[in-house]
Amino acid sequence: MKVDPVRALETPEGITLELRVAGLGVRAAAWGIDMMIRLGVFWAVSMVFGILQLTGVGLVLVSAFLLTWGYPIAFEVLRDGATPGKRMMHLRVVHEDGTPVGWMASFVRNLMRTVDMLPIGYAVGIVALLFDGESRRLGDIVARTLVVYDERGDHGLFVAGAAPEPPRVALELAEQRAVVAFAERHDRLTPERRAELADLLAPATGARGDEGVWRLLCWANWLVGRQ
Amino acid sequence: MRQERFVAKHGDEWTRFDAFLGAWRRDHRAALVSLHPDAFMRRYRTLCQQLALARQRGYSSRVVDRLQDLVQGGHQVLYRGAPFTWREIGAFLAHGFPRLVRAERRAVACAAALFFVPLLAMAWLTHARPELIHSVFDAAQVASYEQMYDPARAKAGLGREQGGDAMMFGFYILNNISIGFRCFASGLLFGVAPVFLLVLNGVMIGALAGYLVANGSAVPFLSFTAGHGAPELLAIVICGAAGLRLGFALIAPGPRRRRDALVEAGRVGGALVAGGFAMLLLAAFIEAFWSASLFVPPVVKYAVGGAMWLLTLGWLALAGRR
Repeated sequence: MKVDPVRALETPEGITLELRVAGLGVRAAAWGIDMMIRLGVFWAVSMVFGILQLTGVGLVLVSAFLLTWGYPIAFEVLRDGATPGKRMMHLRVVHEDGTPVGWMASFVRNLMRTVDMLPIGYAVGIVALLFDGESRRLGDIVARTLVVYDERGDHGLFVAGAAPEPPRVALELAEQRAVVAFAERHDRLTPERRAELADLLAPATGARGDEGVWRLLCWANWLVGRQ
Repeated sequence: MRQERFVAKHGDEWTRFDAFLGAWRRDHRAALVSLHPDAFMRRYRTLCQQLALARQRGYSSRVVDRLQDLVQGGHQVLYRGAPFTWREIGAFLAHGFPRLVRAERRAVACAAALFFVPLLAMAWLTHARPELIHSVFDAAQVASYEQMYDPARAKAGLGREQGGDAMMFGFYILNNISIGFRCFASGLLFGVAPVFLLVLNGVMIGALAGYLVANGSAVPFLSFTAGHGAPELLAIVICGAAGLRLGFALIAPGPRRRRDALVEAGRVGGALVAGGFAMLLLAAFIEAFWSASLFVPPVVKYAVGGAMWLLTLGWLALAGRR
């Protein structure tokens, strides 16, 4: 379980999809990567076509068009909703109902960038994103798309040194996920914060402070190791 | 059933499905060769059942999360939109798009009025008083236009300062199509921007036309614009109509929520702009490779131009009628 907004969608098979919506920072990073890739390609194309003089200029202009408008649309539709930048940040564009993004939605959301970019540096888009509960810029709102995390395969780390120990109390699914998430994040927290969080579970672990933290890590290892 | 037995029993299936998902990410077609769609369907449904069972029986989060991942991956594969075929695109251009334009005739009529009325008014004005051109363009631009449309001086071809056909094609693609896209998207700004863009473009084109005709460059200018005028101007109008639709959805959403009206307008507008894009592509071709030619006699160009107007208007007005 992660603390970010999760959208639960029921599929026709009766399963609930859990889509974690991506926030501003990651999306901005993905955009930055994409911009650098595009500039790089454009530079390379200009070098190559520069040889062809005037015809080359025409080709460069067409390339500029394709890189501006065609790049995001093509990647989003043909490559599972992710441009290279998004892929590197593990993001994906999907329809609001969780289905992979289609041509029309991608077309509209990318055309709306014109407005999202105003007046400078995606200001309108950023404001819209921050206000929206699901981090959508104007293009996402009009096209009914979401940018979500594409999580596959991170099923919890094994914390070195903490011997697996079964939890003393029966934990429900969400609680198990919370303990595993704590173990995943514990090294990013200050020792005081770790202890503070572990103390919340003191009645269950039967220990406080650093020992409580250690107990939780042992539990997490057991939960993770248990197939 | 205990969790360990459950995992032991089904673990292999999960690994195989995971491998399939990995292959799918790399190459859709190859993955489907390795696993037939029917077999995929069966496995996906089985996985969904297993996920539901795992949740209900309270298995550990590790198992549940793993199944959740597999199911989400399978969902991604199963619910892909149908890929666009060329046939669908052809059908859209032949019937779908003209029908849509007719369905949105109010927006299109507004956009046409906002574009052509200023255009004709300005053309008449600058024709009567050529000095008015300087209110619209500065002296350098006016001089440049005069040179572009003077057959004695326009060496590269009419309507361009310099550059070959291919270069101008690239320019028209980048410039004109981007303008069309912006006309649409800027509708989000409460519909104000498309109004502004339509009127502004109408004024500029009209002023130029009236001035050049009064200045004696009537034949070069009209023979240049004849060929591509129809698709280009009408595409701008249609893109503007899409933008107006968007703005109108914001201002007067009618009985729907503003958000829903926006989404609907976005969809309709997107389809309109897709057709407009095709028209602008055609116009770019004609403008770059035909219109500027100094070798084709004006009469031929007028004839082609007239035919283009008839064809374009006829297509929009009549194609796809039941």
